[in-house]
Amino acid sequence: MSIVAKETIEVIAQSIGINNLSDDAALSLAPDVEYRMREIMQEAIQCMRHSRRTILTTDDVDGALNLRNVEPVYGFTSGGPLQFKRAIGHRDLFYIDDRDVDLKEVIEAPLPKAPLDTGVACHWLAIEGVQPAIPENAPVGVIAAPSNGNTHEQKDELPVDIRLPVKHVLSRELQLYFDKITELTLRKSDSALFKEALVSLATDSGLHPLVPYFTFFVADEVSRGLNDYSLLFALMRIVWSLLQNPHIHIEPYLHQLMPSVVTCLVSKKLGNRIADNHWELRDFTAKLVALICKRFGHVYNTLQTRLTKTLLNALLDPKRALTQHYGAIQGLAALGPNVVRLLILPNLEPYLRLLEPELLLEKQKNEMKRYEAWRVYGALLRAAGQGIYERLKIFPPLPSPPGHTIWKSKEKVVTAVPNKRKASMEPLEDEPALKKIATDGPIGSLALVTTLAPSGQNDAGQPSSSEKKTANRVGKDGQTLKKSAILNQIWKDDLNSGHTLVTLLELLGEGILSFIPSPEISATAAIVCALLSKAIDLKL
Amino acid sequence: MENMQAVNNFVAAYLKKKGFKEAEQLLEDLQNKDSAPIDFHNDPELAKFIHHFSQSEDDVARYQDGYSKLRSWTYSSLDLYKHELLRVLYPVFIHSFMDMVAKGHLQEARTFFNNFREDHELMHSRDLQKLEGVLSQSHLEEMEFARSLRQSKVNIKICQYSYDLLLQYLHKTQSTAMLGVINEHINFQVSSGQPSSISDDAEVVTLIGSCQDTANQINQKEIHWGLLEDSLEERLEKAGGLLSDSEKTEEENKEGDGDETKKRSVESGKQGASTKKLKKEKALNATAKSARPEASTTPAAPRVKAKLPLPLMYIQSTEVEQSILEDLRNRVQLSSVLLPSVSFYTFLNTHNGLNCSSISHDGSLVAGGFSDSSLKVWDMAKLGQQGGSSILQAENDSTSSEHVVGPNGGKRSYTLFQGHSGPVHSATFSPLGDFILSSSADTTIRLWSTKLNANLVCYKGHNYPVWDVQFSPVGHYFASASHDRTARIWSMDRIQPLRIMAGHLSDVDCVQWHANCNYIATGSSDKTVRLWDVQNGECVRIFIGHRSMILSLAMSPDGRYMASGDEDGMIMMWDISSGRCITPLMGHSSCVWTVAFSCEGSLLASGSADCTVKLWDVTTSAKVPRNEEKSGNPNRLRLLKTLATKSTPVYSVQFSRRNLLFAAGALSKNL
Repeated sequence: MSIVAKETIEVIAQSIGINNLSDDAALSLAPDVEYRMREIMQEAIQCMRHSRRTILTTDDVDGALNLRNVEPVYGFTSGGPLQFKRAIGHRDLFYIDDRDVDLKEVIEAPLPKAPLDTGVACHWLAIEGVQPAIPENAPVGVIAAPSNGNTHEQKDELPVDIRLPVKHVLSRELQLYFDKITELTLRKSDSALFKEALVSLATDSGLHPLVPYFTFFVADEVSRGLNDYSLLFALMRIVWSLLQNPHIHIEPYLHQLMPSVVTCLVSKKLGNRIADNHWELRDFTAKLVALICKRFGHVYNTLQTRLTKTLLNALLDPKRALTQHYGAIQGLAALGPNVVRLLILPNLEPYLRLLEPELLLEKQKNEMKRYEAWRVYGALLRAAGQGIYERLKIFPPLPSPPGHTIWKSKEKVVTAVPNKRKASMEPLEDEPALKKIATDGPIGSLALVTTLAPSGQNDAGQPSSSEKKTANRVGKDGQTLKKSAILNQIWKDDLNSGHTLVTLLELLGEGILSFIPSPEISATAAIVCALLSKAIDLKL
Repeated sequence: MENMQAVNNFVAAYLKKKGFKEAEQLLEDLQNKDSAPIDFHNDPELAKFIHHFSQSEDDVARYQDGYSKLRSWTYSSLDLYKHELLRVLYPVFIHSFMDMVAKGHLQEARTFFNNFREDHELMHSRDLQKLEGVLSQSHLEEMEFARSLRQSKVNIKICQYSYDLLLQYLHKTQSTAMLGVINEHINFQVSSGQPSSISDDAEVVTLIGSCQDTANQINQKEIHWGLLEDSLEERLEKAGGLLSDSEKTEEENKEGDGDETKKRSVESGKQGASTKKLKKEKALNATAKSARPEASTTPAAPRVKAKLPLPLMYIQSTEVEQSILEDLRNRVQLSSVLLPSVSFYTFLNTHNGLNCSSISHDGSLVAGGFSDSSLKVWDMAKLGQQGGSSILQAENDSTSSEHVVGPNGGKRSYTLFQGHSGPVHSATFSPLGDFILSSSADTTIRLWSTKLNANLVCYKGHNYPVWDVQFSPVGHYFASASHDRTARIWSMDRIQPLRIMAGHLSDVDCVQWHANCNYIATGSSDKTVRLWDVQNGECVRIFIGHRSMILSLAMSPDGRYMASGDEDGMIMMWDISSGRCITPLMGHSSCVWTVAFSCEGSLLASGSADCTVKLWDVTTSAKVPRNEEKSGNPNRLRLLKTLATKSTPVYSVQFSRRNLLFAAGALSKNL
């Protein structure tokens, strides 16, 4: 009948030392207990209201007990919220876990940090009825938010009708700001002032009303100024800064921004001078695209798929320029190793076949074209490498010791070729920074190796060594093909990644090895080397 | 004769059951004597009635049955009369429940209650919460709310036709249980003609302990709501006339006054040294001044004499008077097209301990009352100086919180007043800002001096926590409201209260002075607002209409209107002279902690637990003649603007004399 069960009364009675409480007594006590409890809680609500709160606390209950001249319940006021625990074996019996605390521990414990003292901060909530856009104020809703729509006769704002295009008034300050920024972007994008402007764009909280203007500006200028490299770069920086700004909701404008951003990534021609380092712009834009996907991918779940589709189309279309391919590869690579694994790696082989003629001196006479091809090759290598690196990093280090021993024992037997390979491997094993390896490592060992093995010659920025490398690679393919069978058996625990690695090895040569994570590298490299040597032994 | 015997037995059994020992005795005596037995034969109706009565004792289910039938009948009645008939349901519901409890059928009573409580949850949730706990007869007697319900009758206005319908239904269905409840507890005020409109609902449904008649009677009393004679505003109006004649030279001279510049430096300090702002105000003021003659042509508020001896100190200090006059001259005339600027004081790191906040009239001092019994006062002008125009910076960078505490190092940025021994529930500044009063759960009120930073007086008188204390508009006098259900008037120089206002049926939660100091208004948990005559301590108005506890009160500067905010987020505008609600202002979704009128009474600002400050247009209502109120659309008073804070419930709002709006609240992240 009462929400307080008879059993509860009995338990309470026992807890205060009354063991022989009759059933009847418990039954008739229960409703009264409930009544008193409700009464106290109502008083507590009263106390809560007078403390200007909307959440009831233990203090309020104590206050209510005080009002009735009842001694408050001690021991509940300090500390966090109380947690009831369910008694084991009972479905609806709960208790508060009240642990014994060793006084010594409490005394010896370092003093907790003193709570911050109360202070008062002052800001303008509104100036003549208009809320200024400052961090202290709640962010003004997305433009044409209904909250604004309901207030009539607001200064120079029409009553908002949903069907009408929303009239939206920019303050004078914001207009000036916008003009200034656009002028800087168009004229002096390399000045220090522009850098300041970017910082302001990334941090200022009052810029939200300008976002549609900026998106339009960016879209407009990108479509007009594809020949102006510095302008494009400046525009992309603006987009980057806007994305960084935590006070801006840029989502509604993404659909306007994305085309221009993607344009800057995979356009055939960016800038009209040879000196324009459009590669850098593409790299930057790729990072930008990745950032957008990371931030808004979960809100717009079609965003990434649409983007990758666009990029993949660009990549797989043989008619497109190499620069476009480069942009597509960079874009996909920036989206993460999974994208690389799913989209680039399967297409690697046919694409390389396509790319190969462009790389060779004898087939592609145009120096510029060949350089571009090598750029693409480098990007591809890096993408694949990163993909496989991330993949391998997930797996626990393989039991490597046997590999080492094999390697060591075989060392004596092995012929010169694998020996040299190992020499080139050794510096790599200890290098933690992978990117560094990609550029520095091989070059350092270049002197040692060039004559015999091309090894980690993945810095495609040096077309001078290209001939040698490709020549060697072709020769090596025969070797690696045989090895793959053996490798497959070894990588039983992870066929998939092992397989990919092998395929990559086949396709890209040893350049890929430098991307294998360092803890892995010893093991993998050891195994590969051992196998190589074995194969060679067999051959011999 | 056998029949006769049966009747006698019935009667005896009934009397025994009811515990009417004397009557039982008497009956027995009568029977023993057997002289002239009561002749029941001639009165079969009576026998039937008695029969019914004894039967009903056993048959509690009839309540449930009767009520559910009445309910479905009401809901299926014609729309025109439906809302009138619906009003009957709630009193019938609670009284049926209490009848059942009184007869000891607790289990049935509870199921009955739970079955039908949904219907009334919207309007009466707090009452239902209270009644829900009633589980035995003794509770009914003990609980004051239930007792007052039992003792009083509910007044329900109903049109003739609805009344007839209801009676017809009750007679036709023979539901005597319902008929009994209705007869016993409802007092119908039958009016001829059309059924009343739905909008009158609020007024009618509220159940109060005291009889509505007395409320009506009280509300007949005469009230002089006019402003004080010879007030500063009046003098300014006269002076304003002079001023326009003697041109602005005089005004400009005055600006050169040292006293004036000092005043301004204080204000500019807190306004973030925005001289631009001040200039703007001035510019607006020029336009306002031109508009003023028009305003004065409309019938000005009548003047009344103060019934209290006014403090001389306040009136005679010319220096103070000058600065106030200056403020009044520079006042921005707010209206629906010219909204005020709002300066918001956010309390940081309060650790859920801030109970109240108060802002002095010029906004330079901010006080906070804490649950750890302390009262802390911040001098915003000083704060500005120390931080090197920290307010401006606070506007630009987000590190304002560190700014307040940071530069002072270990030193506190506030003045700490300690003396109370319980949570401080309210604080109020004297009009000139030189005194603070604080009220606490330790049942005392303390007077502090902001000049000396010391406690001056401790006023003891209340027996329970003092929820609210307010200085009168002229200072010196103050009023307090307490859990002991009284409001008291005090003067600063006496430690005993001057008047005790008793009459509320529950806690007095808030108190406010009328602009002419002759009345105080109190808001209570019994959902009424009362107006008391300060001179004789009598209740002169009862305002009925709120559906939950009243948390805040404000009086319009012309003394004619009053606004009250309640727990549900409703604000009601009252016409003091008629005692009627002009219109409810709906918009807040949670407790309205504070309301304030702008200085010329055209705007109402309200602060709420839903983290917003709302501005309401109240000028339109003032112009509409009262006789139109009934037919007029209820949305005459409209919401002008909602100003949302980030996560700060608004504890207090206050217009400065220049109509700058100050608001304060404690930042609370876990809302």
